[in-house]
Amino acid sequence: MNTSVNATIRKGVEGIETMPSIPTIFAPLLELLNLPPERVKLDEVVKLVSYDNTIAAQCLRVASSPLFGLAKSPDSIRAAIISLGLRRVQTILLTCCLADTFPTKGWPLDPTVFWRHSLGCAMVCRKFSEKLHSDDGDKAYMAGLLHDIGFMVNCVAFPKEFAKAAAYAAQKQIAFDEAELATMGFTHCETGRALAEKWHLGPDTVQVIAHHHRPEQGESAQPLIALVHLSDLLCRVRGMGYGYYEGHKVDLVGDPAWAILLQEHRDLAKMDLALFSFELDEAVEEVSILVSTIFGGAQRETKK
Amino acid sequence: MTSTITAASPAKSATPIDPVFRQIRDLVYKVCGIFQLEEKLYLMADACGRRMKHLSVRTPREYWDLLTAHSSREAELRQLLNEVTIGETCLFRSPPQLDALRKVILPELVQEKTKQIVKRLRIWSAGCSTGEEPYTLAMNMLEESDRLLKGWTVEILATDLNDRSVETAKAGVYGDYALRATPELFKRKYFVQVDEKKLEVRPEVKKLITFSRLNLQDDSRMLFMKGMDLIFCCNVLIYFDGPSKGKVVNHYYSNLNFGGYFFLGTSESLLNLNDNFRLVHFPGSLAYWKPSLKSGKL
Repeated sequence: MNTSVNATIRKGVEGIETMPSIPTIFAPLLELLNLPPERVKLDEVVKLVSYDNTIAAQCLRVASSPLFGLAKSPDSIRAAIISLGLRRVQTILLTCCLADTFPTKGWPLDPTVFWRHSLGCAMVCRKFSEKLHSDDGDKAYMAGLLHDIGFMVNCVAFPKEFAKAAAYAAQKQIAFDEAELATMGFTHCETGRALAEKWHLGPDTVQVIAHHHRPEQGESAQPLIALVHLSDLLCRVRGMGYGYYEGHKVDLVGDPAWAILLQEHRDLAKMDLALFSFELDEAVEEVSILVSTIFGGAQRETKK
Repeated sequence: MTSTITAASPAKSATPIDPVFRQIRDLVYKVCGIFQLEEKLYLMADACGRRMKHLSVRTPREYWDLLTAHSSREAELRQLLNEVTIGETCLFRSPPQLDALRKVILPELVQEKTKQIVKRLRIWSAGCSTGEEPYTLAMNMLEESDRLLKGWTVEILATDLNDRSVETAKAGVYGDYALRATPELFKRKYFVQVDEKKLEVRPEVKKLITFSRLNLQDDSRMLFMKGMDLIFCCNVLIYFDGPSKGKVVNHYYSNLNFGGYFFLGTSESLLNLNDNFRLVHFPGSLAYWKPSLKSGKL
């Protein structure tokens, strides 16, 4: 990447850093996410959630939604966290925090579509991980949730340029990163990486954000990057893409990421990919409900 | 396109589904390669219910025993599939497959074959039933005849085992139900009104298709079906037992040109019956690809 592109990205990301809307709980939340699950204490999470009224209300709303089928709506944050489970609470917290950090008014991209893809990818990453009998399901989930964080940077820091890229992608029916490169000279991978490094996200997550379109270029954590790459592709062909038709064939087995993942997980060779794809269709509805429950009316207001 | 196991639509029951039906769903996938989404599980439960009534079986668990008992397994699974697939088809059954065909596959095939002297595409609708699938394909090819397929010859071969189905297909007359998914534009452009309730496919569409009776298990005839660019065989293989299915799929592989595609039903899988085929994805649909010589992925 040339120096002027680098400077443009840096300036854009700095602009986000100085934005006043980053929720207070965001930094401690990131710390919490980096901890192994057994070291996360319920009381700390309750404290964190209770600190921010908007997020607390969102948590209660999600816990009361039909998605979780609870017989009785939880009437306290503690009860909500217990019913949702720590893992789900972390997702909701992170999603709400990111949504608050990046106001979606005037986004060139429908925020609902963005969140459906991000949450969808997170879910596919976890399911994929389970299929491979990996213990890293939570890490894969988080990596999937954050992989496109650069989209948010681009929406906020480069709205006009990104709008052009989005229109170009839809018109040419090509992948988003190709359109970004053609029209902006850089992609969400670079802007996402810049922000992830500023925020001190874990090194593996930074690698995923930076290389999820080219796993073979990853400097470390290649199997995780490959898993997110394949999950991202699967989302885009099973109804959780970016809301436009991508006119190309997806050959997962022929993708370099497949070979990378196969080296780490021999089980991949035995996987019934068709069945896995069909099973993902069941999750599309669930993800859509989760997105509309988390964002509710506010999301509709900002929808393009 | 041919129907998946969702055509009948009884009211969704509010009562929870007995977990045994989930086991039956998984068994159907394992043996036949047809997947039933969780949200459509009640259709499977209804079909099982009809079979249970017919057999005077009282509980889903008893029915499961019947489906898994060695002596009755194959026959009863076939009966159950008859219930759930009900042989109902309609035109334009799977828009994602058509999108993949027109937006991705055709441009790719045209580009790959552009240097050939004879610009010809051969498509086979195997198990075409009463003709809905080949007519849908023909109309979509005609839509491209002034653009992508200008100067190209398209041949569609449509075969079915059942004589009566082939005759009905040749007539090309359809009512509202079969036309329920057909876009208005296509109805106006490619059909003529026969009577108040029925439309007939226009001669220029029929001209593209050759209908004939064919038994997919007839090895000698299967050997002659060479040079295909696309094969559609939706919800047909489910009626074959494992070895026969494998044999038919091997035929399909050799019937296809390199770079050609094989489509199954929207929720149907090849269950790894042929390792040479490569499963590829398009938005909303899957296909099996015979990698081209150029791609070096044989």
